[in-house]
Amino acid sequence: MQRRWYTAGALIASFAMLATACTSGTGGTAGGGGTSKGEIIIASDQPTSGGDASDGLPAQNGIQFAVESAGSIKGFKLTFKGWDDTVNGNHNPEKGAQNIQEMIADAKILGMIGPNNSNVARAMIPIANRASFTMISAANTNECLTQTFPYCEADTGTTPAKLRPNGVNNYFRVAAADTFQGPAAADFIVDTLKITKVAVWSDNETFGKGVADKFTTEFTKKGGTVVVRQDFDTKTTNDWKPFLTDAKNKGALAVYAGATSGTKICIPRAQMKGILDAPYMVPDGGVNSQCIKDAADNGANLYGTVAAADANQNPDAKATIDAFKAKFTKKEDIGSYTFPAMDCANILIDAIGRAIDANGGNMPSREQVRAAVAATKSFKGTTGTYTFDANGDPTSPTMAIFQTKGSPLDWVFVKQFGVGG
Amino acid sequence: MVGSLRQARIAFVGAPIGRLVNLLVILAVGYAIFILATKIFAQGPSYFLQILTFGVANGAIYALVALGYTMVYGIIELINFAHGDLFTLGGFISVFLLPIFGLDASKAGTAGIILPLIAVFIVTMLICGAINVTIERVAYRPLRHAPRLAPLITAIGMSFVLEGVMFLWKGPFNVPYPNLLPTTGIVIGGATIGVKDIFVIVVAAVLMIVLALFVSRSTLGKAMRATAQDQDATELMGIDINRTIAATFFIGAVLAGAGGTIFGLYYNTMVFDLGFSAGLFAFTAAVFGGIGNIQGAALGGLLIGLITALWDGYMESTWTQVIIFGILILVLVFRPTGLLGMRVPEK
Repeated sequence: MQRRWYTAGALIASFAMLATACTSGTGGTAGGGGTSKGEIIIASDQPTSGGDASDGLPAQNGIQFAVESAGSIKGFKLTFKGWDDTVNGNHNPEKGAQNIQEMIADAKILGMIGPNNSNVARAMIPIANRASFTMISAANTNECLTQTFPYCEADTGTTPAKLRPNGVNNYFRVAAADTFQGPAAADFIVDTLKITKVAVWSDNETFGKGVADKFTTEFTKKGGTVVVRQDFDTKTTNDWKPFLTDAKNKGALAVYAGATSGTKICIPRAQMKGILDAPYMVPDGGVNSQCIKDAADNGANLYGTVAAADANQNPDAKATIDAFKAKFTKKEDIGSYTFPAMDCANILIDAIGRAIDANGGNMPSREQVRAAVAATKSFKGTTGTYTFDANGDPTSPTMAIFQTKGSPLDWVFVKQFGVGG
Repeated sequence: MVGSLRQARIAFVGAPIGRLVNLLVILAVGYAIFILATKIFAQGPSYFLQILTFGVANGAIYALVALGYTMVYGIIELINFAHGDLFTLGGFISVFLLPIFGLDASKAGTAGIILPLIAVFIVTMLICGAINVTIERVAYRPLRHAPRLAPLITAIGMSFVLEGVMFLWKGPFNVPYPNLLPTTGIVIGGATIGVKDIFVIVVAAVLMIVLALFVSRSTLGKAMRATAQDQDATELMGIDINRTIAATFFIGAVLAGAGGTIFGLYYNTMVFDLGFSAGLFAFTAAVFGGIGNIQGAALGGLLIGLITALWDGYMESTWTQVIIFGILILVLVFRPTGLLGMRVPEK
């Protein structure tokens, strides 16, 4: 009997999700420039309403700003249209798949920027690939989206080749893959913070567990010891105090968390108060304003990695940043991936321009746009100079490290460095 | 229903395959407990005491929520799935009330918080009670004589409605709850028993004792027990059943409201869909202790809190839920009525 009740509950839940999923994408439109030849739409897909909105909205702002600033390209009017991949407060791969189908159905859309989350990208790439539809992501970091490793099939259920059924790459990103992010945090803790004993936890999701595992491998390789390692189901876990007490007893001098804001990444930070007074380090899913809020009165001394360069360190980007801040005035309008996402949009617009030229000044095909993006060479963006390799990865990815400081607390740039390439 | 369940169980346990399965489950749980015990010895008594404190505090919150499930089930045999969300709503209402009563982080840990906090507790509990009575009147009472599945689905629907309201109210993010209680504690045997831990345990214990006295001593409590046993006979005795059932919903919600406030004060964070998982665990606690049984719900909540803390503290957290539900299955196989026995009429 009880089982039947749960089945009934599950049915109701799935109907509710379906109902939410049926609401259509939102977004603004903008005009400007010489627009006699028609309209080209740049789409975006971000989690703009859920637990990850603290990352998704700032990224969408960057894309919208790029499109509206350009206004037009070679006689075509440029318009921005944003989709939200959130269902029931969380980013949702199925919603992402539905969104990209809607984008593909609109002939004016020549490419999209996004998504924010790697598991959403995994659902979107094959659909876009069949339509030669270009995707450029600022924030996807899962390495198996672009690179083939022996563990990809087991860990993510798919491989880059399977994600691209027509055999030609349509997916590009400017973010550094997770093969760099976990190790970068490990190097920082050992080399800069001079700490060799840490406790590690993850949310047991693809991203969180992956980055925590890679952190552990590098940390151990550098001679450090992971004294406690736990993976939590964050939907049902409220209490990290047993884990933190265990960490303290075993001599941990720092804690590394593999999770995102949507999976309570900085809630344990608040609970560390009175138990373990030590630095807390997070991957890019935690470098946002929500994390500082969740850490409550224990928000100082947080460290985080971001898989892209900080635009503020680039003197050439100052005018763009000022113009952006004049338009988006609130502090939470800007996030770690605002400027990388803006660069993605500008790379796409630049490629569309070249594709229009290649097509004799006419509306290019999606395949022409895809080929033009793949051919991008040394594109100067606010966060760096981008060239894509055959996999769609940037040839010289950058990793930046931030720390919470000041009053009111905010993420402050510590350093950045090139990785791989 | 219980009788036929018992027969089915006896038949299963008696069969060779049933014996084998039982043996395997007992061996697995025995092995897990053995590993846990060796780790407890290895890590020393002060750490054990610390984990025990967290477990009891956690369990006290589960117990408060479990009481609402068990009381409603005991009286009208409805699993009120919306109860977990009412618990969350209690937290949301209290976080809204705090500034109205002049409480903010600047007063944290001072004696000045005591009276306003009591006021916040009382108002939150009353509002939650009123909401639950309304829910009962609007959504459950018209379905009281409908087939059992109808009110159950309505309860799931109410759960989504409440979650939706909280989503619209506070958004999808974690809602910060001001850290008002002192963060100090007393050190006993190397373990720090925080003021927060003591607060949770004491408030929950007081509420549960008051509830137990109320149900066993007061006239309304007697009416509740009578209604649980036989509605028709109770009505013939001149007791207003509608009023008695409404009172049960009111008291359940009062405890949930207190639970939500305690949760906020203890963890300093709430989120709109917290009630789904908290409710599931509390419901499990109620079944664990014997559904319909008030002492059972308290014991069940305490056990789930303890198992969670011990497993998180000593073993792999990934398996915590597997262990909780594994033990639940084991308890139900050997005692289908839960640890302290069901208190519902056999039908």
